[in-house]
Amino acid sequence: MAEIELRGVSKRFPGITAVKRVDFTIHDGEFFILVGPSGCGKSTLLNMIVGLEDVSEGEIRVDGERVDDLDPKDRNMAMVFQSYAIYPHMTVRENMAFPLSLARMSKQEIERRVSQAAEILQLQEFLDRKPRALSGGQRQRVAMGRAIVREPNVFLLDEPLSNLDAKLRVQMRTEIARLQRQLGTTTVYVTHDQTEAMTLGDRIAVLRAGEMLQIGTPRELYERPGSLFVAGFIGSPAMNFLPARWSEERLELPIGSIALPEQLRARVADAEGPLIAGFRPDHLSVSSDGDSERLQFEVEADVVEWLGADLFVYFDVELEGFDNLALPEDLELEIGNRERQSLVARIDPAAGVQEGNRLKLYLAPDRVQVFEADSGANLLLDV
Amino acid sequence: MAVGDSRLERLFWGAGSALVVAYALIPVVWIVSLSLKRSADLGDNRFLPQVASLEHYAAVFDDPQFSAALWNSIGIAGISTFAAVVLGSFAAYAIVRLQFPGRRLILAAALSIAMFPPVSIIGPLFNMWRTLGLYDTWPGLIIPYMTFTLPLAIWTLSAFFREIPWDLDKAARVDGATPLQAFLRVIVPLAAPGVFTAAILVFMFAWNDFLFAISLTSTNDARTVPAAIAFFTGSSRFEQPTGSIAAASVVVTVPIIIVVLLFQRRIVAGLTSGAVKG
Repeated sequence: MAEIELRGVSKRFPGITAVKRVDFTIHDGEFFILVGPSGCGKSTLLNMIVGLEDVSEGEIRVDGERVDDLDPKDRNMAMVFQSYAIYPHMTVRENMAFPLSLARMSKQEIERRVSQAAEILQLQEFLDRKPRALSGGQRQRVAMGRAIVREPNVFLLDEPLSNLDAKLRVQMRTEIARLQRQLGTTTVYVTHDQTEAMTLGDRIAVLRAGEMLQIGTPRELYERPGSLFVAGFIGSPAMNFLPARWSEERLELPIGSIALPEQLRARVADAEGPLIAGFRPDHLSVSSDGDSERLQFEVEADVVEWLGADLFVYFDVELEGFDNLALPEDLELEIGNRERQSLVARIDPAAGVQEGNRLKLYLAPDRVQVFEADSGANLLLDV
Repeated sequence: MAVGDSRLERLFWGAGSALVVAYALIPVVWIVSLSLKRSADLGDNRFLPQVASLEHYAAVFDDPQFSAALWNSIGIAGISTFAAVVLGSFAAYAIVRLQFPGRRLILAAALSIAMFPPVSIIGPLFNMWRTLGLYDTWPGLIIPYMTFTLPLAIWTLSAFFREIPWDLDKAARVDGATPLQAFLRVIVPLAAPGVFTAAILVFMFAWNDFLFAISLTSTNDARTVPAAIAFFTGSSRFEQPTGSIAAASVVVTVPIIIVVLLFQRRIVAGLTSGAVKG
């Protein structure tokens, strides 16, 4: 049980600042996710919490006590590595007993805890095997087992599922969620997979180039992203972006113009530089649902992906007369060119859309987010 | 065609291997044969003894000089090996895992020491050891053996340590190990093939060395077997000590063979498989 507090934590490597003055608190028992593109400093942050990296500046407290100058062995945290890092020369039992024997526990206590963990993780029949005789998923569970036997204050998981195949990843994801709820241990989980982030996290922190962009529940990040980067990073498929401009009290988009709520007009009107409008693929629909306010536009389906419960329709929008879209490069979302921008809609499969079909799409104006292209700030967010 | 090819290939490989093995083993067989001949038969121009006798072995073990030398050899080679492997593994681990300026320089300097011709330092060493009181003592041989074998040990071990995923050290540290515990309980067992390889190389160097042993010793206090053999005399002044030398050579070869066979079993490839994903 632990509350982790980071105050002004920075990490400098020669020639690069990996983490820049980060402040946040992870609550007791919380499942906290760190996401961001590769190289954003999320693993460095995790290593600083566990003590494998020194903190260049700032302090880390666990339950109010400073830990940033403690040796990793004195922090009582357990970590699961991306590579699992289970000891190949030890059996599964020895692997799980290793932290306990280092803590000089009695034989009976070690035996009790190992068999308990093995039961939770369904590893009983593999206890006497060496890691090389295990499958990827089993190795992953051994790594989890080695973490839980210690009954640590904090679990730290560094992309634990990224080496598993897709099906196993989904299965282990639910197992980790169940385990965390069962044990109630504060958990910090690093991932770049945002499905994991959305499904597992009580709260998510989005990091970019060492800076903390936004912390919030998955819902907050999805519905009220604070910046262009968070909007584009969270959600799969990614948010649709279009260049926009403010003209005659309306927001003009290449697909038509929409009215904004009164209290937001001033902010959009005062915005500097070009604007970018964003909306989620699931906020497009094939019917107006009787809402006359909705923006209606016609597109030609370019690619259609049918996933059973969902139908993704990819289409192009002509940008004639609008500025080119300048999205952050590290979002890796460059899916258009000077003349056209590629968008996607998630619609009801019953609509029966085929590739090459023309269809009418509807967009509710209150779903549209407006960003300043230069600063990336979300103008519609009342902060 | 394919069958003929593979048969031909096997024939070539078989013949080649047999040739190499015969080439390597003929001198060994010859020495064994010499050691088993009776003194009178030593010059009989036969490859194998007509009558096998153990008289030379008995003579060798009767000689107090030889048993003293055997004890010296075992002790000096054993201690040199142990010290070189322990120091070498610490040094190799530091070079592989720690970021400090001059890592490459240390490796290069170590290698240059190994390339240094030992004969060129014998003279100065002889004078220094006499002044320091190390002449004709165990440390007097252990120190040069370590000096010349440490580079080898460091190179071998650092190659093995480099193969061990860094995450394992980190995992051990998070699991509550001190740096030393992580090293001894996780890294060294995984680098065991490297540790044994280094040990064999160091042991063979120390065990077989003649140059340092003959120059830096004068009595049974520290004289090792290769040097002692040079002082063998026949049982009478008219007799060549060939038989005794052969017997002594066989006796000193046996430990090397045992050591290699013993350690070879530990040099198992793929010990680290299963550590990370894969």
